[in-house]
Amino acid sequence: MKIYAIVFASLLGATALNATGAQAQTAAACTGETVTLRILRTPGNYPYPKPMEAWQKENPCVKFEVNEVPFPQLADTISVQAASSNPPDIIVYDGPNTQSYAAAGILLPITKYLPKGWDDDILPATKAEHSYNGEVYSPGIEQTTVAMYYNKKLVEAAGVKPPQTLAEAWTWPQALEAFKKCQQGPAGAAAVWGLGPTRFGNGQPGLVYQDLTYQRSAGDPKAAPTTSAYKTFWAFAPDGKTAEGYLNTPEAVEALKFYQSMFNAEGVAPKVGIPNAFFDAKACFYIDTPAAGNALIKDPKIEWGITPLPYFKTPVVHTGSTTFGATARSKHPEIAAKFVVDMSWGEYAYMNVSQRGNLPTLKSLFSRFDIYNKYPMKVFVDQLQSWGQPRPPGPKFAQYDKIVSEALRGVAFGGNPAELMADAEKKVQRILDR
Amino acid sequence: MSRGEQTLTVSAGAKTRPRKAATRRQKQERLVAVGFLAPFMLLLLIFQYVPLLVMARNSFYDYSLLNPAAEKFVGLRNFADMIEYDDARRSFGITFLFAFGVVVFVIPIAFALALFLNSKLPARGLVRTMIMLPVVTSSVVIATMWSFLLDPSNGLINGALDIVGIARQPFLTSTQQALPSLIAMTLWQQVGFGAILFLAGLQGVPSELGEAARIDGATRWQVLWNITIPLLSRTTLFVVVIMTVFSLQAFAPAFLMTQGGPQEATNLIVYHIYNTAFIMQQAGYASALSVVLLLVVLAISMVQMALLRSRWNY
Repeated sequence: MKIYAIVFASLLGATALNATGAQAQTAAACTGETVTLRILRTPGNYPYPKPMEAWQKENPCVKFEVNEVPFPQLADTISVQAASSNPPDIIVYDGPNTQSYAAAGILLPITKYLPKGWDDDILPATKAEHSYNGEVYSPGIEQTTVAMYYNKKLVEAAGVKPPQTLAEAWTWPQALEAFKKCQQGPAGAAAVWGLGPTRFGNGQPGLVYQDLTYQRSAGDPKAAPTTSAYKTFWAFAPDGKTAEGYLNTPEAVEALKFYQSMFNAEGVAPKVGIPNAFFDAKACFYIDTPAAGNALIKDPKIEWGITPLPYFKTPVVHTGSTTFGATARSKHPEIAAKFVVDMSWGEYAYMNVSQRGNLPTLKSLFSRFDIYNKYPMKVFVDQLQSWGQPRPPGPKFAQYDKIVSEALRGVAFGGNPAELMADAEKKVQRILDR
Repeated sequence: MSRGEQTLTVSAGAKTRPRKAATRRQKQERLVAVGFLAPFMLLLLIFQYVPLLVMARNSFYDYSLLNPAAEKFVGLRNFADMIEYDDARRSFGITFLFAFGVVVFVIPIAFALALFLNSKLPARGLVRTMIMLPVVTSSVVIATMWSFLLDPSNGLINGALDIVGIARQPFLTSTQQALPSLIAMTLWQQVGFGAILFLAGLQGVPSELGEAARIDGATRWQVLWNITIPLLSRTTLFVVVIMTVFSLQAFAPAFLMTQGGPQEATNLIVYHIYNTAFIMQQAGYASALSVVLLLVVLAISMVQMALLRSRWNY
């Protein structure tokens, strides 16, 4: 009993001393009023502890309270918390929602807080995605896009040689031939799939981020704005007022018939998710962000390479990542905006980006990431700079994303592409008309 | 009040016994009862009835959850939209079909299982455990497990079909098979609950009635059809109402397994409401859908109670 009492007293004493020390340190550094910034983010996302601690040394009066929610619940949580009487000061959210949140008055415009040179350094796709009505609402930290990974052993065994540069990139019909050659087992029930399922969502096809590029790549941004080729490429009116005539075009329908055949007639891609299919060598090819490459660099389960995303007529990849911003109803808007901007600029931005290994949004940082200067990861940088386009931005992006994803999924499951896209156009219009 | 009505009231009052004044003990007991009930009534009021009123009020507004302060009064527009656009009609139709499918299959299967559990046949304990396990298992676990079972490429069910020479089925990715697949899963999950309710009912049926009928020469089937089933009508009503309400409120299968697809083939109304409020950001329209759902559930329950009202008692 006596020993327990001594141990307990020692622990209590040590804890008290430790706490005193910590308090003394903060108190010594902070001369003004302490401010607590409340951050809502997803687990494992930025702002990361190391840059936050470094920033706190420069801003000792600022404390953080971090709340985390899983990504699938993030948008719902923001919907509820942003309208509450005590919204978070900083929110991490999916980049394409910037305009929705800006239009709803959730985000604080941060244009006036941006450092000199930001305009020249930021990737144009990032700036477009994070701006609304001439104001920037998020500086962005990371940028991602998708490319096609391949399992070296499997494709070599099939006698397939995927291209490694943008200039040699496959068209979708060429890619399909490679999938068919490499696939093992019957069409539609393969043991090794030609093209593995996505890891996003529940693994089913149809996500706008990955699959809207099929039809967009069948369009032509250089065509006259009234033509269906032009509209197919943009997939949404540039003024954000309509989707009618932009989704159900002859070019889009043709591309979608091809897309549908991969899951049905050709049977080279599964209709539902298979966890870790590519990493377990159950797929020859697989579309993913740089996150997959970084995971494979750390733990090389398979020999792998990257080939640029195939296309029909115009190569295009979607950009976008989670990003963060200060909330308009923050109790400390100035300091929240300062933190957000600081975290995405200079050394802090480097610290944040290097933590997860995605691409930076600042061009000046590319040279500091060795892996992005050489094959295979360089494919991402090249794609981002030459082919990158934001997903059709607009204040109703979340609704557009849901409606079009469902239509694409319907096509993958065998639905009529023209009917589904016409229906999607109507549904988007109903949302826009409200 | 008319003279006739007054007379009726007086005569009715004359027939009832004069009420005795409550004793002190009765008053104390009432006070204790109120004390016990008050917290729950308060919670019921705050978390059930007040939200219902707020929902009813919101159904006349157009607003987004992202910016509720910018709400606009739109009168009956949300209700008019339900007629103008086909989303509500389709979703309610799918939900009714789902509820009908679940009830039609759950009732006879649950009843048959209850008869087995009420008999003296072997392995009753094992069967009881087997059918109750899905009832107490989380819907998320069940949905995940069935998603794997129904995988169109490499699922266990397709594997079994393959062995007996039947072509692979698309199940959840087919507009024709997705809803029946969800009905089958819900049936598997809920049948145990129905069986336990029927079992409770069966154990309350006096055995003398059956024995007397058997002495009079009735067959087992005649006893079941003419005595047991009629006497279980109250239990049947309860199971039908409970299963209908459960089915009309189903959310997890659509949310976790199909996301309402393919092509809205499984867009159950509660999932549609969730989607409308949180993804489409049309919270006013979602409230209007909820009001209609509430009225529909009430109406269906009342009709079922009227149709299945017991004419026999024991």
